Amino acid sequence: MSEVTEPGLELADRQNRFVSDNLRRIFVQIYRIVGNVADAQDLTQEAFIKALQHQEQLKDEQKAAHWLSRIATNTAIDFLRRNGRASFCEIEDAPEVHGGSESPEQLLLRSEQRNYLEDGLRLLSPRERAALILRDVEGLPAEEVAERLNCSKATVRSHIANARIKFRRYMERRKR
Amino acid sequence: MKHPSQATLALQAGGDLGFLARWRTQHHLRSCERCRAEVEAFATARRIASDLAEIPELPWNRLAAEMKANIHLGLSAGECVRHGERPVRETPLFAGARAIVAVAGIAALLVTGIVLERPAPVTTAVADDGMVVQATSRGIQVRKGGQELRLNNPNELTPKDTVLYAPDAQGSMRARYVDPESGYVTINNVYAE
Repeated sequence: MSEVTEPGLELADRQNRFVSDNLRRIFVQIYRIVGNVADAQDLTQEAFIKALQHQEQLKDEQKAAHWLSRIATNTAIDFLRRNGRASFCEIEDAPEVHGGSESPEQLLLRSEQRNYLEDGLRLLSPRERAALILRDVEGLPAEEVAERLNCSKATVRSHIANARIKFRRYMERRKR
Repeated sequence: MKHPSQATLALQAGGDLGFLARWRTQHHLRSCERCRAEVEAFATARRIASDLAEIPELPWNRLAAEMKANIHLGLSAGECVRHGERPVRETPLFAGARAIVAVAGIAALLVTGIVLERPAPVTTAVADDGMVVQATSRGIQVRKGGQELRLNNPNELTPKDTVLYAPDAQGSMRARYVDPESGYVTINNVYAE
């Protein structure tokens, strides 16, 4: 005997599963671009709401996950454009940080390292920053970065090259 | 020796060059220590940037629950707004009185156009001594008593080539037309003297 499900319930289940399966991945992806837990939280919610409003896109789970990543990247880039630059919060400012596994010294070092990287990222345009994060931090191939940023491979290579040049110059200046 | 650009070296450090460019750059790097050092510096910068992959330890369960709740709230709010939205126009654009007004407006516009396009009506100027100067369909005619004298417009003027008549208060009449072939403008003035 086949099980009869209410269409509304089925949709709600599908949405819940879609959110659960992708939430952490999308949050981390956005956090790496905007560098701030509170903003990443808001933008993650925004990206999911945008995606779930187009139910027809959720039929193929793999495609939907890919599509969601693009929405998330664009949402984060738009946010950076609106707000000028990434605002990395201090590690201590993150909500209820579990410091149990790390010593205060380690936390301090990590905080300093992040501040150091934060200053470097501020020199990049939102698209350069997103390209650098997606390629060098997340390790996505350039083709996929181009797809995520909705631009050609040549353009994304240019973003990646510019980002690396600026970031390297920044590190050299800081060394002196 | 021609060195590759900084952008090329930066892309080489991440393996992002196309086949031909990569081959050329590698070939150059074999013999250029300076460019090798540049590529190494870019590779170091990449390694340091990868520290950005670290995310702070967070109370993930609480954060996830919050986000899920907010996502559902946002979707529900979106649904409410969608259901509450009334279409901007529920009735067809042209129906009932609107259609009548629209048709009447178009008809009025057409009538005005036709009236304005019609050739100037035959006009008449009367001099003090009872001499009548009159514009007719063929030209300007001067009439007094039983006698008439007419200055005809050229025969080749079609009805489309409008002749503009302008009577004068002193009893004269002017006809103005354009020769359809040559484009010359002809102005005839007939004075009733």
